[in-house]
Amino acid sequence: MSVDTSVDLGGLRLRNPVLTASGTFGYGAEFAPFLDLRRLGGIVSKSLTLEPRSGNLPHRIAEAHAGMLNAIGLENVGVDAFIREKIPALAAEVVIVASVFGREIDEYAQACERLSESPRVAGLEVNASCPHVRSGGIEFGQNPQLLASLVRAVRRASAKPLLVKLSPNVTSIAEMAKVCEAEGADAISLINTLQALDVDLETRRPKLRNGLGGLSGPAILPVALRMVWQASRAVSIPVCGIGGIMTAEDAVKFLVCGATAVQVGTASYLNPAAAGEIADGMVDWASRRGVSRLADLIGTLQPWS
Amino acid sequence: MIRAPLRADASVLENEAMGAANRRLRLLVPGFEGFEPGQFAMLSPGAVGGALRFDPLLPRPMAIYRASSGSAGAEVEILYKVSGRGTALLAQARPGEQIRFVGPLGRPFPDLRSDRVALLVGGGTGVASLYELAVRGARLRAGAVRVLLGAKSARDLMGHADFSSLAVAVDVSTEDGSLGERGLVTEPLARWLADEPASDVYACGPTAMMRAAAALALRFGRRCFVSLENPMACGFGVCLGCAAPRRDGGFALVCRDGPVFDATIVDWERLA
Ligand SMILES: Cc1cc2nc3c(=O)[nH]c(=O)nc-3n(C[C@H](O)[C@H](O)[C@H](O)COP(=O)(O)OP(=O)(O)OC[C@H]3O[C@@H](n4cnc5c(N)ncnc54)[C@H](O)[C@@H]3O)c2cc1C
Ligand SMILES: Cc1cc2nc3c(=O)[nH]c(=O)nc-3n(C[C@H](O)[C@H](O)[C@H](O)COP(=O)(O)O)c2cc1C
Ligand code: FES
Repeated sequence: MSVDTSVDLGGLRLRNPVLTASGTFGYGAEFAPFLDLRRLGGIVSKSLTLEPRSGNLPHRIAEAHAGMLNAIGLENVGVDAFIREKIPALAAEVVIVASVFGREIDEYAQACERLSESPRVAGLEVNASCPHVRSGGIEFGQNPQLLASLVRAVRRASAKPLLVKLSPNVTSIAEMAKVCEAEGADAISLINTLQALDVDLETRRPKLRNGLGGLSGPAILPVALRMVWQASRAVSIPVCGIGGIMTAEDAVKFLVCGATAVQVGTASYLNPAAAGEIADGMVDWASRRGVSRLADLIGTLQPWS
Repeated sequence: MIRAPLRADASVLENEAMGAANRRLRLLVPGFEGFEPGQFAMLSPGAVGGALRFDPLLPRPMAIYRASSGSAGAEVEILYKVSGRGTALLAQARPGEQIRFVGPLGRPFPDLRSDRVALLVGGGTGVASLYELAVRGARLRAGAVRVLLGAKSARDLMGHADFSSLAVAVDVSTEDGSLGERGLVTEPLARWLADEPASDVYACGPTAMMRAAAALALRFGRRCFVSLENPMACGFGVCLGCAAPRRDGGFALVCRDGPVFDATIVDWERLA
């Protein structure tokens, strides 16, 4: 049975609902030996800043039970090098979403403006998990007023489909989702990593040089499903589900909980072809059950009555 | 020649204990076409086949010890030490089972120079990264390489029999004196650097050993290449997790720009 896999994620027309998560897929070309990127719904770049940046001292990563911690820092090649060197390495059919990061709202807005000038950039994803230094290091995505100003500014800076990636480190994800919708975001992506800490008992120091890090991987999947469900019920713009997806069944769960599309993150480290296999696996899953459109699965969670 | 990496479901041919916590893993890797000395692979035990498991989650970086083309395809050999959850799971892999293999990865050791003696210094599991270099040195000419192997004790020593069967000189140091000279492998290194003015150092082992080898080489004004061991998540340059600080202030990715580096570019102070 043939399955219609196409979805519309806030104006991004995707051939299937599987994208790759920012920071886990480099700039795309690194995966060429393992995977035909044209098989994916799209790719999301490493978060980009206006100027190139260097990251944190090692150790930057540590394994956790069914997951990993990371504190990479802001390391990226910068917006200009991305446009000049990274984009041309990707085939024309690859849907490119540029992830954007900044220390200040203005920096975000300028980066969005520059990226929007490239016809190859299909959409923007604003990473709201960046600490706002002037507010004492709180993440943009943790404060509704800060988040509103950020989304307003980037909305003005670009007419491209605009995704806002939410931090899960909040009390009410529904409230943050509503802020994004009210300020003109076309879709929301969630979740980013959960703030975490692990300890090296020999030295009694944090395992990561940065101290705190972000937890990703299968350990966070149920948290992500919960937040996607809550956010998707709170807004009418589409949701892109992220967090711990390792298999096609995991991805289908996100659709059922209300996501229109998903992003595969940490899984690409263990298996560089994971995103492609998950896209294929979703089709198999659907055709075995007589589901003719993947989009028909969206938001079909049957709550206990 | 640096080949593009491949991802394969590798079949376990053999996974035998070698004494202490050391093991030898022989894999059948479909499509594998060879590697260069110092290159590595990412191995994920438990990630392929029947009951998928994602804990421990990350693949483990392991040097490619040896490879050959067998009757059924390419065979790749890994020498590893069981030291934590991932390698403990790897130790349970039985012949016929499959594990995920991504490789060959990383930039290899530079070619040996015909007018120099290469001092290959290996400590602990770092020994595995040097074997192919020793093989090539033995082929180059007599006396092209001298291998200095170090371990805690004779039982912990990896690959000794294999190195000894090559036409290269092998010196052994153990910390408890149970084989060869008692002490650290850097002690014979200092003597050879003094005796052999036309020598270069190729080192792989614990960070403290490589730091000491690099300092010795610098003192004697010799070239020194080290193969760094940072924790890795991906192994091919996308997670940015394996960064090592450079002396010029920036970072190099151990998996992509290394694992082999000229020791003078590494910021040994800031390296974890
Ligand atoms: C390029 C390279 C080549 C290597 N080659 C070999 C080899 O040929 N034989 C061998 O026995 N070992 C080798 N190692 C070291 C090997 O990767 C670690 O011993 C192994 O990852 C430890 O895993 P674990 O499950 O036993 O430990 P755990 O403590 O469970 O590991 C937890 C996490 O830390 C990482 N980690 C722990 N120790 C190390 C280490 N020394 N280096 C890098 N990451 C580490 C693990 O990969 C994992 O992500 C190599 C490392 C690198 C970077
Ligand atoms: C090493 C690493 C680096 C990451 N870098 C970024 C980043 O630059 N921007 C971003 O928005 N998210 C980043 N993320 C978060 C992921 O995109 C994703 O939201 C998160 O890892 C949860 O998904 P997963 O469990 O499938 O990995 C990073 C995650 C990891 C593990
Ligand atoms: S291990 Fe991921 S970038 Fe090196």
